[in-house]
Amino acid sequence: MGEVIVITSGKGGVGKTTTTANIGTALALLGKKVVLVDADIGLRNLDVVMGLENRIVYDLVDVVEKVCRLKQALIRDKRFEGLYLLPAAQTKDKTAVSPQQMQELCEQLKEEFDFVLIDCPAGIEQGFKNAIAGADKAAVVTVPEVSAVRDADRIIGLLSANDIMDPELIINRLRIDMVKRGDMMDIDDTIEILGVDLLGVVPDDERVVISTNRGEPAVMDDSSLAGQAYRNIARRLMGEDIPIMNLETDEGFLARIRRFFNSNRKRAL
Amino acid sequence: MNQDAVIFKGVRNGIKIYIDSNYRSEQIMDSLKRKIESGKRFFEGSEINLTFTGKKLTPDEQQAIIDLISREIKIGSITFDIAESTRPSADPIEFFDGIEEGMTRFVRGTIRSGQLVSYEGNVVIIGDVNPGGEIVAEGNIIVMGTLRGMAHAGATGNNNAVVVAFSLQPTQLRIGSIIARPPEGEVIKSLYPEIAYVRDGNLVIEPYLPSKGK
Repeated sequence: MGEVIVITSGKGGVGKTTTTANIGTALALLGKKVVLVDADIGLRNLDVVMGLENRIVYDLVDVVEKVCRLKQALIRDKRFEGLYLLPAAQTKDKTAVSPQQMQELCEQLKEEFDFVLIDCPAGIEQGFKNAIAGADKAAVVTVPEVSAVRDADRIIGLLSANDIMDPELIINRLRIDMVKRGDMMDIDDTIEILGVDLLGVVPDDERVVISTNRGEPAVMDDSSLAGQAYRNIARRLMGEDIPIMNLETDEGFLARIRRFFNSNRKRAL
Repeated sequence: MNQDAVIFKGVRNGIKIYIDSNYRSEQIMDSLKRKIESGKRFFEGSEINLTFTGKKLTPDEQQAIIDLISREIKIGSITFDIAESTRPSADPIEFFDGIEEGMTRFVRGTIRSGQLVSYEGNVVIIGDVNPGGEIVAEGNIIVMGTLRGMAHAGATGNNNAVVVAFSLQPTQLRIGSIIARPPEGEVIKSLYPEIAYVRDGNLVIEPYLPSKGK
């Protein structure tokens, strides 16, 4: 029996889709059977990020409307065995699916896969309700900006109202140089406000933009710092205990973070 | 309306009448009678070929239908199709074949992501079709611009349909029952108009102006 994890944020543009694609790919790299579900009906992107857009024949709405069987709509990734995508419909909207139907779909997928990752749409309306309906766990993505953190807080509240307790946080697009200058919220500030456990920190990395445009998740790029961060998140999801401070393999970078935290602590005193 | 016991549908050489097998024969006869009476003026003066399908009829029922119809209208021929099919849409053999000459819808403007143009005939787009946009036509599809989205010609199963575009760069192409996608890797931007059609079960793309490309 697998686990259904919804990847959500409230705010748009913080990297939900990129995160879903990368964590999913990283889990598949580690030998897990993974399905990525695009719940953003009418504004689908996950297929593009995965480079699988041109393979779509049936979609999620076709499955819940029983136009096709679930197996027919699942697109096998072109690079990794055990990685599948269930694309969203593009010519429909969020009302095409009900939370009840999503729940049934998740139950079905759980039988087959070790991990079911749901890419949640931005917002807190129907699309969000659909996306979280069948989820066992949630990963909340935010960027270190006041507005994004505010929305993440709102989402965490809504998740717990829907009995999805203890969501874990992914801080995306952190820029150490800006944090250092005091121009960006740091990890501790963010966690303190949100009061949830940290699942991972992903540094800002232009390679992510490059790989997203190419339809190749950044985890495939060994030299990408963000890719490494996503691989670590995947291992944490599998239950491995990998400390956040060891997020980056790059010693220089690590040392910089450590130095920064030390200096910050001194300032606090 | 769609709960009628019989459904009339115009086909190439006459009228096909679908009978819902869930109804009793009195209900079927009743519905048939009403349909013919209401359309009497339409049927008048012409010889019509009728094909019945959807329900296996007993010889008695067939005779009763022949009697009823010949009282009302002039008939060319009556065929009883024994194959049981439920609804017109579920009939896989039937498809729009007006690709040489038939109904056409013209759409002016760009078809953007999430927009769907669907028509029971040919479709002409005077504009572009962007990625995520979909054109589904039972006949041919002509794009007087760049086709970057998905196009499905001959959507009800006509493999003779074609897709033509000034610049053919689709996400995915479908003709009849055949689905094709561009090869992985570099995007080739065609500089001349091209036509996509089915040859020996494969979807092929060629320039349709012999002087252009090779």
